[in-house]
Amino acid sequence: MKEIEGKVKFVGMMAIVLLLMCCFAIATHAAELNIPATVTAGSGLTIPSSGSGNATLYVVGPGTAIKRTVQLGQEIQLSAAELQNAGRYVVSLDGNNASFFVVAGPVQSIAFLARPSRVPADTPNVITGTAFVFDKYQNLVLQPQPVTFELTADGQTVSRTETTKNGVAFAKLDSSRKEGAAQFVASSGSASVRRVVQEVASDPCSIRMTAVRDKNGILARTDPIHDCAGNPVPDGTIVTFTSTDAQGKSTVDARIKQGIAQAELPASNDATISVASGVVVGNEIQWRGAQ
Amino acid sequence: MKSAFRLGLTAAALAVLALVFPIQHRSVLAASTASIAIGIDHAGPREIEETTQKALARDYATAWQAMTDALDQNRAGLLSANFIGTANDKLTATVQEQSKAGLHQHITDQGHSVDAVFYSPEGSAIELHDTAHLQIDVMDGSKVVHSENATVHYVALLTAAENSWKVRVLEAVPGF
Repeated sequence: MKEIEGKVKFVGMMAIVLLLMCCFAIATHAAELNIPATVTAGSGLTIPSSGSGNATLYVVGPGTAIKRTVQLGQEIQLSAAELQNAGRYVVSLDGNNASFFVVAGPVQSIAFLARPSRVPADTPNVITGTAFVFDKYQNLVLQPQPVTFELTADGQTVSRTETTKNGVAFAKLDSSRKEGAAQFVASSGSASVRRVVQEVASDPCSIRMTAVRDKNGILARTDPIHDCAGNPVPDGTIVTFTSTDAQGKSTVDARIKQGIAQAELPASNDATISVASGVVVGNEIQWRGAQ
Repeated sequence: MKSAFRLGLTAAALAVLALVFPIQHRSVLAASTASIAIGIDHAGPREIEETTQKALARDYATAWQAMTDALDQNRAGLLSANFIGTANDKLTATVQEQSKAGLHQHITDQGHSVDAVFYSPEGSAIELHDTAHLQIDVMDGSKVVHSENATVHYVALLTAAENSWKVRVLEAVPGF
């Protein structure tokens, strides 16, 4: 009986020793390397080491995976090229582990989204620009940075400066009164990106038409059609002519060509002729056969 | 006598479990997939529609799965369906460097807390703040050279592709 009791005690003791060994291994494993919490992208890093003999250094991070034999007791160099990408890096050396962050450097480039590429002139808040700022290694720069948005059209420039938040800034701008190609530029520090926004006439301001008899019926024709800023409405814009008489309603869709639209309507002795484009309704003509 | 015997057996079993458990723990969790829920209350200037929120959660979760698989198996080809631009370039470089050094990372994704913080006015780009809970094992062949249970903050920028959202930037940051 005593023999069995002794064996049981021995097994228990061994188990406790094993547990203590595990705890000791974990405690020594958690020792930390002397590494700064953050490093600027592309600036390199020196890691002091202690002890003697060789050990294997492991570094894993974005775009980097290093396995290198190093001499303990000497400084360990991680080059600028090895630490270009922003993110979290883990280091393991001789059973010691640590992590640090590489953060973005100064702004060197901008990703600029300008929308839309074609806008109606003289319309408020219709052009949006969104700028993401990056350093020379294409890391998103998360520190607040000023970004200037400039819209130049017809010799006039509208400018607005916004500060980035989480690496991004945006602005909404009015389109200019005159149609044409507007230069839309986003800049921050030495970085600058240009986009072109085509500003075109917006909806017609008013439509005026006249009607005359011709050999096949009634020829209805508009005056030159402009938007409210005086820009000619683009050729190809649809204008709808409608004639209503005792026979019913006739509708003709015509495109603006060289600034005006015209349509041939059926002959009638007593008709009401109207014209419209989009939401804009033009004048109405009471047509009598004698006209 | 019996209780002493039981005590001894229990202690021995505990010791064995202490040695074996980490390996079993990892292998069980490796089968799980990322669980992603995206908060949209802080997004702007554009409001995120419900369908966009769902698509975003689906595509971001898929991207994480692809990334963990690529880093574990050193297969850069797994990335291109979900990553684009610099994120794709940098992750591809990581896989290539790991492959050269004989390393790989076994990342067990234990969940994310994600907030959308920016949705561009024209609707083509979304920025996320992701707090990820990860078990990270850096492996040299089959040997674990670094193992940690970490909470890591990520800034992710996703852009709209033809029928999905793709990750254009994915950077771990010290905090938000």
